[in-house]
Amino acid sequence: MNDSVLVLTLAGAVITGTPIALAALGALLNERAGILNLGIEGIMLVGAVTAFLGTQATGQPLLGLVAGALAGATLASLHGFLSITMRANQIVSGLALVIFGTGVAIFLGQPVEGQALVPGARLGRTAIPLLEGLPAVGRILFQQDLVVYGSWLLVIAAAFYLTRTRTGLALRAVGESPATADAAGIRVAMVRYTHVALGGALAGLGGAYITTRGAPWDQAATTGGRGWIAIALVVFASWRPLRALAGAYLFGIALRVNFALQAADVRIVPPQFLTMLPYLLTIAVLIVLSATDTRRRLGSPAALGVPYVRDER
Amino acid sequence: MRGWQLEPRRDVQPGVLLVVPVLSVLAALVVGAVFLSAIGLAPVAVYREILRVSYTTGYGIADTLVAASALILTGLAAGIAFRFKLYNIGGEGQLYVGAIAAAGAALWLGEGASPALAIAVVIVAGAAGGMIWVAIPALARAYLNTSEIITSLLLNYVALSLLQYLIFGANTPWRDPNSPTFPRGAPIPAEAVFPRWATTRVHLGLVVAVVAAVLIAVVISRTRWGFHWRIFGDSPEAARYAGISSRQVIVVVLLLSGALAGLAGAGEVAGRAGRLDPNGLVLNLGYNGIIVAALARYNPLAVIPVGVLLGGILNAGPALQSLPGQNVPVAISTTLTGAILIFALAGELFVRYRPTRRPDAPPSDGDPVSVGTGDEGGRA
Repeated sequence: MNDSVLVLTLAGAVITGTPIALAALGALLNERAGILNLGIEGIMLVGAVTAFLGTQATGQPLLGLVAGALAGATLASLHGFLSITMRANQIVSGLALVIFGTGVAIFLGQPVEGQALVPGARLGRTAIPLLEGLPAVGRILFQQDLVVYGSWLLVIAAAFYLTRTRTGLALRAVGESPATADAAGIRVAMVRYTHVALGGALAGLGGAYITTRGAPWDQAATTGGRGWIAIALVVFASWRPLRALAGAYLFGIALRVNFALQAADVRIVPPQFLTMLPYLLTIAVLIVLSATDTRRRLGSPAALGVPYVRDER
Repeated sequence: MRGWQLEPRRDVQPGVLLVVPVLSVLAALVVGAVFLSAIGLAPVAVYREILRVSYTTGYGIADTLVAASALILTGLAAGIAFRFKLYNIGGEGQLYVGAIAAAGAALWLGEGASPALAIAVVIVAGAAGGMIWVAIPALARAYLNTSEIITSLLLNYVALSLLQYLIFGANTPWRDPNSPTFPRGAPIPAEAVFPRWATTRVHLGLVVAVVAAVLIAVVISRTRWGFHWRIFGDSPEAARYAGISSRQVIVVVLLLSGALAGLAGAGEVAGRAGRLDPNGLVLNLGYNGIIVAALARYNPLAVIPVGVLLGGILNAGPALQSLPGQNVPVAISTTLTGAILIFALAGELFVRYRPTRRPDAPPSDGDPVSVGTGDEGGRA
């Protein structure tokens, strides 16, 4: 039973969904602070290539992951500087990050283009004792790796942080009404910078996970638009971490089924049409969400995308 | 910035408008130099090569202008949308579908048509293809208020898959039947190929692009439609009070934006490649149109020189690769253009605000900075 196609597909879906979950969590923290970061795709690419090179240099996938997260935080801070200090248009600034990040990633990754990490240097599986023995669920959830478990802890921590802590409430205040937060003594720019960097680190980690798990570095395919799907997922998850994780796993399933169909070489549907499906699905979900008019109740941060300029005293 | 404050400028100074992009390009060159040095290349030598292959030789200038023909159109596509705060970032996909439609129309028309008719059909088909591809994001935004940002972007991936299917996936009419082992696009009939200027590769697309830029500039500044768009762009509420249909503005502007990107696709087929050529569309002309538009500050006429500038930089990447004995990564172009945009965005602050010494006493006539909440309309 543990090796049935269904179980293996679901276990694979967790792996495929994890980078999307991490990136979505990063985008969510940005947006809760009122900063729209469209640069996630570029951040993931830089994270992926940095982690690849870091792991290759040190032989330690965990160091590679840290390097990827740090690179993500650095690149995101650039977006923070442009959108917070320089009051730039956040949409254009995010796009600039995607283009610049893609360029930097191709640049850095040129020597290893098309290669994957040697199996010995990849992030290995770490089974959780006892739980791994559960039928089916054990194989799907508890024979994964440290990043998968880490992503659960991060999601739970983020949910707790947003709703149960003082700093989390301060963060939400900044995203909803920066002027009020400012009057209450919250340092708006500081909160925004911190969460932009944190969000970037998470997106970078998401990218880093893809290459340290053993996927080859290929500028066009390594992330393949998952950063954009992650941004859409934040809307789908109505800015809540647990829903983002669930959504990411749903996408993981969709992508895995897709891969399986492509590998099975079903002749009825050409592979190019299967490739389109996740993107079309995302578009459909976004349109249906707005059509059902639940979006207003879903809780988009009110000050999302608006630069804050304090009235000089 | 203690001791300094930012005062909004009443009018944009022409000097600043020129200084900011020039400094952005210079600063980006410095960033590029860091990357080049890191991999052991001499930046000055590489930049001299870029000048040589893109701007100072006749052949190079011609190639730059070919790239510019597409970039001016995609720059206009992004510019007209972004200027009115409609963020169509699907120019890449609209260009692909425009190219597919243009090639399809030319092949369907076949040989024997008069060149004038064939070229007109190709141009109209390209524009229509781009419009079709932007229609879903446009209608969803206008009628359901779905953010057009992500829907338009995700359709880029769909368009890429469609393009690959038509050439690599099956025996479609777009595929060259005479090249079964190396799939490629079928050559379009000679009548539909854009005329070229003398012996260079500069084609009719450049004229189309410049004419489009002038037309857009006139429509925005001189017509009632343009007036409505500007009111909508400044304040959708004001537009509503003035009885302007937001839906109409959103749909018309986005369809126009898609049509311009589609025109660029028609130029790539009928002007540059002579066939639907997925491998030739590697310059990311759609995405780079956004950079062109931002550097031109969404001004249609400024898009023309910026398109030429960026065309050269983008051309330089592949051109440097093909030179023997060179080992310059292709990505130098993307890195440079990305950095230019980042610096231009940072410099935008100085276009909109003037840094002044903070006076000791607070100014009596209100708060100068409180007005400047920016002109961003972010939605998610």
